[in-house]
Amino acid sequence: MDFPQFDILAISSALLLVTTFGVVVRRGFLDWLVAYRYQAIALSAVTAIIAYVTGIWEIYIAAALTLAIKAIIIPKVLTFVTQKIKLDVKTEENPYVSIRMSVLISAILVALSYFLVQEITIKSDAVVAAYLPLSISLFLIGLFIMVVRRMALNQVVGLLIIENGLFLFTTALTHGTPLIIEIGIFVDIFVGVIISAILLVRMSHTFDTLDVGKLESLKDG
Amino acid sequence: METLAALMNAMAIPEAALMISLLLTPIASGILVTILRRKRSIELVTVFAASLVLVQSAALIIDIINEKSVSAFDGNLYADAFSGIILLPIAGVGFVSAIYSVSYMGRQYQDGIVDDKNIVRYYQGFNAFLFTMLLVPLANNIGVMWVAIEATTLVSVLLIMLYVKENAIEAAWKYLMIATVGLAFALFGTVLLYYAATNVGSGEISASPDQSMNWTHILANAKLLDPNIIKLAFIFLLVGYGTKAGLAPMHTWLPDAHSEAPTPVSALLSGVLLNCSLYAIIRFHVITSGAIGSEFSNQLLIILGIVSVGIAAASIYFQKDMKRMLAYSSVEHMGIVSLAIGFGGFYGLYGAILHIINHAIAKPLMFFASGSISQRYSTKAMSEIRGLIKTMPITSVLFVIGGLAIVGMPPFNIFTSEFLILSSGFGNNQFLASAIVILFLVVIFASFMRHLVRMVFGNPKVEMKQDDMAKLAIVPMLLLAAMTIILGIYIPNGLQTLAQDAIKVLK
Repeated sequence: MDFPQFDILAISSALLLVTTFGVVVRRGFLDWLVAYRYQAIALSAVTAIIAYVTGIWEIYIAAALTLAIKAIIIPKVLTFVTQKIKLDVKTEENPYVSIRMSVLISAILVALSYFLVQEITIKSDAVVAAYLPLSISLFLIGLFIMVVRRMALNQVVGLLIIENGLFLFTTALTHGTPLIIEIGIFVDIFVGVIISAILLVRMSHTFDTLDVGKLESLKDG
Repeated sequence: METLAALMNAMAIPEAALMISLLLTPIASGILVTILRRKRSIELVTVFAASLVLVQSAALIIDIINEKSVSAFDGNLYADAFSGIILLPIAGVGFVSAIYSVSYMGRQYQDGIVDDKNIVRYYQGFNAFLFTMLLVPLANNIGVMWVAIEATTLVSVLLIMLYVKENAIEAAWKYLMIATVGLAFALFGTVLLYYAATNVGSGEISASPDQSMNWTHILANAKLLDPNIIKLAFIFLLVGYGTKAGLAPMHTWLPDAHSEAPTPVSALLSGVLLNCSLYAIIRFHVITSGAIGSEFSNQLLIILGIVSVGIAAASIYFQKDMKRMLAYSSVEHMGIVSLAIGFGGFYGLYGAILHIINHAIAKPLMFFASGSISQRYSTKAMSEIRGLIKTMPITSVLFVIGGLAIVGMPPFNIFTSEFLILSSGFGNNQFLASAIVILFLVVIFASFMRHLVRMVFGNPKVEMKQDDMAKLAIVPMLLLAAMTIILGIYIPNGLQTLAQDAIKVLK
């Protein structure tokens, strides 16, 4: 492995992490979507790098799909919905864990994923070494956002980050599942986003808020 | 059975064509629904498609019994006896649900709760739901299976969203978020397993990448897989598909989603969809057992099973809402199946297989009856429902039969499978687990009976005439009630053979 190649891997990893933290530190609805778009672009670049390093042409298709669906269509749909929703407050005012604390915890999660990957004996080539811990970081940070944020839209973005983490995990570790399954997964994600967009609109109409903490009509007893 | 088989042979439908047409039937029906759009015709189309699915599934199961396993599309579609076991409830409950839908949704339409547009959406969703569930046991590729199960979530969320009201939106949101995160875990596990299957120690598995995601291929090479990765993968798969199967403590979405869905869909969610996810867990349990021995996954399954039955017991005791009570009872029964698989052995597996089928008969019966009851009383609150025997005599008798079956009273069907499962527990030296579960089952029995007796007897709170409502709703309930009794007394030869073949697959 020559040195410059490794450099690209490191830089792209850093880019992906920075965009992910963009979602963690921002409060506004549209800010998350912008950060998510940048993350998807970075992910697409990372995927293309993996395709280049491994020389498997199918991964280029996955990179193109990522760019088209995750960087263009999904942010467009969610931005449209955000603009359509008539709410006074379109920010995360009062998350369960404060923004500062969230940044700290997310940083710890990143460290944890690098540690975890070292513990598991898995084949190690340049791609795996660079991207596997990164993918687990995305997975954990996405999960963390879903748990500690109150706004429904933020939960959707968290879910999408988890999905991105999974995608990177799959591509880095196994060089992609067969293309047909890859496409199936993309379709599932896309339909899922459309459905959650409809639910977001309905929720804002019916409850006059996107604060999931205020949805508590369904209880036992 | 033999004459039927002979008939099938005479017609000589190749099983590959049968599998494909089985999958295409609900798709074609969904397209027809979209084109026709008239209420009466889309009801007819859907019921016809559901009966076609039933007939084709029966034919396919006969093929499976004769030939042990069938496959199509170069092994991408594959069904063995265990797939057949899951196919039975999908096709059976799909059929009775389609009939009940006509009555239930018709009533909602009359009451002005749903309009023409919603009816079309409902039947589109119903057909799509049927298709995604049929794909689960027929897919050989574990990636396709994941895509199919994720698709079931999306379609059923759409069906719950049919009603634009607070409860439905909240339930749909929770279901979508929790189930999707759960399935993200399952995909993580699937990828790990795929990785293990493509990178074995000796590197001497000759298969194309497409094939190494096939269940049959992974199982054949189970011994070669890296044990550590398999353990990790199984934990992720169990948490992921366990969320979708409603195993506690990942079950929190289930009572909301199952109680807010339109009742025929509740029956499908409880009776069929949970089984589809459990099917995935059991398949991966078989792979894990093949790779590292069964002890690891058995213990995990037993623990999740006990927790599920325990949480269900507590929730049923305090429950006030009729449909939520039934939803928690599904958590209980999924727990029992998980426990049975964990106990293992011939009787454990036999009990698990029978329990899957028995639950899929008794639970839809309960949901259908409760749907008719809540339409009549305009409430789901059990405290408001009194004197059913006077107001709806036929429905209430069927409701009681379902209730007695669901708590495991002899001579009904669930008694047989629960008895098999618990005796296998004691037989396999799992005394503690079996004893705890029996304790929980007693609590569930007592609280279920208390709720049931209060609703059925006594006097209605307001004067009501004796009226069982739609006669069409009675037909599917009668069918199911008859089957709870028949399967409680005797198990038909065909089912016995299928179950024994399935046990061979699972061992």
